[in-house]
Amino acid sequence: MHLYPLKLVTIVGETVIMEDIADEGLKLGATGYTLSEVIGEGSRSARTVASTIGAKTMKLEFVVPMHVAEAILTHVSHEYFEHYACIAWLADVQVVRGQQYIK
Amino acid sequence: MTLSIVAALPLWAVVTGEQLSRMLESLERNLLTPIPLCFVLGIVCTRIHGGIKIPKELYLSIAIFLLMSIGFVGGHELAHEYQMHGVSTIWKPALATLFLGCLTPLTSFVVLRYIGGMSIADSAGIAAHYGSTSAVTYAVANSFVEQTNHPANSFLPTLVTILECPGIAIALVLGAGLSSRERAAKATPERRHVRESKLYEALYEVITGQSIMLMAGLLVIGFISTMFMDDQAFQPFYEFFQSKGMLFRGALCIFLLEMGLVAGERLGDLVKVGPFLVAFGILMPLVHGFLGAYFGHAAGLNLGGCTVLAAIVASASYIAAPPAVRLTLPEANPTYSITAALAITFPFNIALGIPIYYEMAKWLGAT
Repeated sequence: MHLYPLKLVTIVGETVIMEDIADEGLKLGATGYTLSEVIGEGSRSARTVASTIGAKTMKLEFVVPMHVAEAILTHVSHEYFEHYACIAWLADVQVVRGQQYIK
Repeated sequence: MTLSIVAALPLWAVVTGEQLSRMLESLERNLLTPIPLCFVLGIVCTRIHGGIKIPKELYLSIAIFLLMSIGFVGGHELAHEYQMHGVSTIWKPALATLFLGCLTPLTSFVVLRYIGGMSIADSAGIAAHYGSTSAVTYAVANSFVEQTNHPANSFLPTLVTILECPGIAIALVLGAGLSSRERAAKATPERRHVRESKLYEALYEVITGQSIMLMAGLLVIGFISTMFMDDQAFQPFYEFFQSKGMLFRGALCIFLLEMGLVAGERLGDLVKVGPFLVAFGILMPLVHGFLGAYFGHAAGLNLGGCTVLAAIVASASYIAAPPAVRLTLPEANPTYSITAALAITFPFNIALGIPIYYEMAKWLGAT
């Protein structure tokens, strides 16, 4: 079985910006994403209650080549880090059928 | 503190002993009923780390039921009103509501910016919350006036729908416009374009959001079905949705319990927002409530109608406004607006505000 070395970009932040970031990630070269609701607590505020009043947190994941990962992380840190509760990180992953994540 | 006392003086100056005892009686009548008591239970439970947990799906389902119910019954009553009087009794209250929807974000902004000295973004963000309305406050106020045997005019749900949008739109446009110069210094043309597109996106999301779509949609459905269905076929739908029914009141109790749990968590943030915002969260609703009762009375609403209009004008949005403000004014601190709307104004209106608006409407001569 052939495994492709790719990058996993994970962004955790406020619900209100996550769909925008997902769309922007696609424009920057990602071929897809996974978005899920999570519960957690951060330095800006506690988000432990999953209610409908805007306190929800979401996790967004892209599997992409290095240059796309860099573009996404640069864009997110430039546009969102200043005013929104948001954290982003990068990890190495080995992906089955990895060719479909490369445009 | 001094500010709160000075602002409260004119209100107390016009209250006589007899009115005060009547007001206390109304407060007691309101407070010692299941709906506010469930809210209190929620707060107490959170503060003592109790074990109540409302499943999110249930909470969301109840929110959908309440909004559908308000819209459907409103559409049904509106159809009756239309069949009897045409639009002659509705247009004045509708215009008064639209005017109040445009006025309240401006009064809130001026007070926050020039008396409170808050930043443009924070002032506009909080003003957007106070310019819009809370459908749950409407439901509680409506239950209160039904309990006092002074039911509100039938078309009040239409007024809730009218009040939902303009306040948010005005405050966001005001905030985005006034702070554009501050942003211009550090924003590239590309970023400015992104910010402008987010304003339109936020306004579109408010207008097409769940509250408006369900309330306005069911209002139209209630109206059409009342006009074209025969009474017997219509009855089961009415019984399911009606606000005097056990289903609606029970659902409201569960919803208020969840609201109490959330508000209880936010109580800790009162220290962060400071005394000015606490005073604002109590006094601004009183001023807006008085304006609501005054213009409602001038537009011909009955005692229940004036009370409910006052309550919805005095209420602050905590569902539609927060995401719109986050998108458009990201530099505004959400702790200020959500704490003020949810942990100060909402409990104040539920516990004390509604009976006070009722007495205000009586004092203005509404019957």
